[in-house]
Amino acid sequence: MVAVHQQRRPLIELRHLHRYFGPTKAVYDMSFEVYAGEVFGYIGPNGAGKTTSMRILATLDEPTYGDALVDGFSVVDDPDRVRRRLGFMPDYFGTYQNMNVVEYLDFFARAYGLHSMQRRSAIDYAMEFTLLDQLADKPINGLSKGMKQRLSLGRTMIHDPAVLILDEPAAGLDPRARIELREMIGRLAENGKTVLISSHILTELAEMCHRVGIIERGHLLAVGTVEEISSRTQTRSEVRLRVLRDVEGLMNYLRQRDDVRDVAVRQGHVTMTHDGGPEEQAALLRQIVDSGFEVVEFASKAKSLEDVFMTVTAGLVQ
Amino acid sequence: MSTVVQAEILDAGEGPIEGEPSRWARAWRPVEDWLIALVDRANPILVKETRQALKSRQFVITFLVVLVACWIVSFIGIAWIGPEIYWAAAGPTLLKGYYVVLAIPLALIVPFSAFRSLAAEQEEQTYELLSITTLSSRKIITGKLASAAVQMVVYLCAVSPCIAFTFLLRGVDAMTISVVLAGMVLGSMGLSMISLLIGAMARLRGTQVVTSVILILGLALACVGGIALGWMIIQSGSGFMREEEFWIVISVMLTFYITFFGLFHSAAAAQIAFVSENRSTPLRRWMMVQQACFCGWMAAGIYYELSSTSGNGANNIGEALVAATVFATGYWAVMGALLTGEWPLLSRRVQRSLPQSTLGRTTLSLFNPGPGTGYLFAASNLTMLIAVGLILLVFRGPATGRFVTTESIACLLVLSWSYVVGYLGVGRLITVLLRRWIFVPLTAAFLVQILLVMVGSFTPLVIQMTSRQLRNQGYSLLQISNPFWTLYELVNRGSSSVQAEVLVWIVPAAAVAVLLLNMRSVATELMHHRVAPPVRVLEEEAALHVPVVKPSNPWEIEEDDH
Repeated sequence: MVAVHQQRRPLIELRHLHRYFGPTKAVYDMSFEVYAGEVFGYIGPNGAGKTTSMRILATLDEPTYGDALVDGFSVVDDPDRVRRRLGFMPDYFGTYQNMNVVEYLDFFARAYGLHSMQRRSAIDYAMEFTLLDQLADKPINGLSKGMKQRLSLGRTMIHDPAVLILDEPAAGLDPRARIELREMIGRLAENGKTVLISSHILTELAEMCHRVGIIERGHLLAVGTVEEISSRTQTRSEVRLRVLRDVEGLMNYLRQRDDVRDVAVRQGHVTMTHDGGPEEQAALLRQIVDSGFEVVEFASKAKSLEDVFMTVTAGLVQ
Repeated sequence: MSTVVQAEILDAGEGPIEGEPSRWARAWRPVEDWLIALVDRANPILVKETRQALKSRQFVITFLVVLVACWIVSFIGIAWIGPEIYWAAAGPTLLKGYYVVLAIPLALIVPFSAFRSLAAEQEEQTYELLSITTLSSRKIITGKLASAAVQMVVYLCAVSPCIAFTFLLRGVDAMTISVVLAGMVLGSMGLSMISLLIGAMARLRGTQVVTSVILILGLALACVGGIALGWMIIQSGSGFMREEEFWIVISVMLTFYITFFGLFHSAAAAQIAFVSENRSTPLRRWMMVQQACFCGWMAAGIYYELSSTSGNGANNIGEALVAATVFATGYWAVMGALLTGEWPLLSRRVQRSLPQSTLGRTTLSLFNPGPGTGYLFAASNLTMLIAVGLILLVFRGPATGRFVTTESIACLLVLSWSYVVGYLGVGRLITVLLRRWIFVPLTAAFLVQILLVMVGSFTPLVIQMTSRQLRNQGYSLLQISNPFWTLYELVNRGSSSVQAEVLVWIVPAAAVAVLLLNMRSVATELMHHRVAPPVRVLEEEAALHVPVVKPSNPWEIEEDDH
């Protein structure tokens, strides 16, 4: 992923955000920035403070200390300006009785102050984008979970906000609905929207997010691309290498080293656990080559978002 | 359009062209456009709720029941009256029946639907989705009210042919029908407003269940009361409506209705507004309007009494002053208890809108949110009313009543002020003290005030009741902290029964001392200055409101045109 934040201004800013519920510190001193056109994944176990901080950004709650800014406007001091720029999709779907899809979108378009043609074109675009145009007259109570999620996304984007905050949008969806939703979010990012998204499905987040933030017990543990976080947190890695000849010699050489463990041969490759980050691995490779071994392949297993998440978090719940 | 079609249209000559709108359609078009524009600009909540209501089973059933009830009333009524219907004045009898049919949906169903519509938003988790739109809290409440009004109009339309029928039956005139219907409409809107306020206050599901039960009981009582009043008016006819006093009373009631309606509307909007918004100033403005109306009507009433030739003017003024003092004291005690419970810290958003000029800061600072300014606001308004009362007392002339003497009323005015100012001040100091350690919300601060008055009133009462020596003594100075008994004794038995010569020194002195104790923190609140908006806000404002450069001479316009 391209580091899109380098040349753009932040559209979401959390500045030392704190939110306490009695003795519980749901969010504690959280600061990070999300830049224009960026998809930012928000990862953390249940009760980590994701939804709380998202609700503060959506002007549904207020911080105990600190502030959160959307496009430079404080969510506490200028909630009305923030609301014009922000669409929030919560992890629930609020249902109105006796209403169909188009009436639902029409109501929210009116509520966001869209008039006449502007409103009609916004509804048409939202329905087309979320593939709901065939279901315009269908009562919302009769929609499936996937359709409701799409309608919820349509409502979120009805006023063409620059920032979208999506709280667990893929929760409870079947694989097809999940793929469709992921594609929609991808298209939103292509259209220049800034997306802050939380999900428990880390593989999906890894695919669509430019950067991620990992939180636990209200604390922000790491922010950056998966690779950045991985390199920062990596102290031990699985290394696999292949030499042209003298495999036994290489194994003996490796076993004598203090920074290498679990040396074995698997499918013609020598595998080991190496204590150290990328720089230490480069030094190891150099030393192996200098020792006269003819190395034809040297690979360190890249950490997935799941690996990073498991490394960064301690599984603590408050 | 293809050339073939064009040729066909041209060949058709002067006859009506197929596809072209008719004359009626052309005439109707502007009206239709205007209606579309009207609906387009209508409150979104009103549009949504009207759509929902028209599809809802509850509305359809209620509407049908109203129609069937009207039909049943018509048949039973005509059968009951029998052949006399041709000559007897049967209008009032049937109107009473239709009035009951209309009163039930208007006094029960419409207000309760308003309550439920707000409660359901919270139950079905749509309220949060609504609150993050650009709709203001005032618009949300207005939309809900407008929706109630639309339902009310639909029910009225359903019953209106029957009511017109009663006019044809003789015995009831247009004035009576108008007054009765206007009263019902205003009553229904008022009850809807109160229901919305309760709905906005009851956010937790458990609270909603309890409040909905209490509300239904209250609405049922109001419905019965409204029916009784309506029947009384229908029975009395329009004779008393021709008297001047009737319209004066109606005007007074309307004034209070409108101002309380505005106050409740602002209170409901404040309940659902975002925390950083200024929720206090609109309420204080309505309180000020009520104060002005109250003063105005009091002055008008006293002028009327002074200029009357009945000779009993001084006594009437005295009684009016006693009633007004009791009302004003109760009003400012309740409002003051709420105002002194406000949160002391002003959000930056509120600080941006504080008065800036010297004149503004001098005159409008009491409208700033905060418990200190709230205390001073309540105390100032009550002081003004008491001062006006004392002035009127001087001009009213000698009274002939037994108990309502000038001295008693003067004592009542001074003691009422003292009790309110004293209790509110002590309550506020306790809240300030508590807030050093714990979070005290407005409701808790209000409870502190109530507890304080109860402790001040019931402690001496319990002491007296449990003491053998004092039990049968009646009122004594031990009850000095009990405002209810003290003021009751004063009004009913005169100033000598309460040792007023002692009370008028001690109680006001204590109140002034409490007022002075509060002054330091009040002054801190009054010293708040306006803060400048953030640069980002100024940037956006500048971008939104680009100044239009007007041409300085006619040639510039021509150059622009070219």
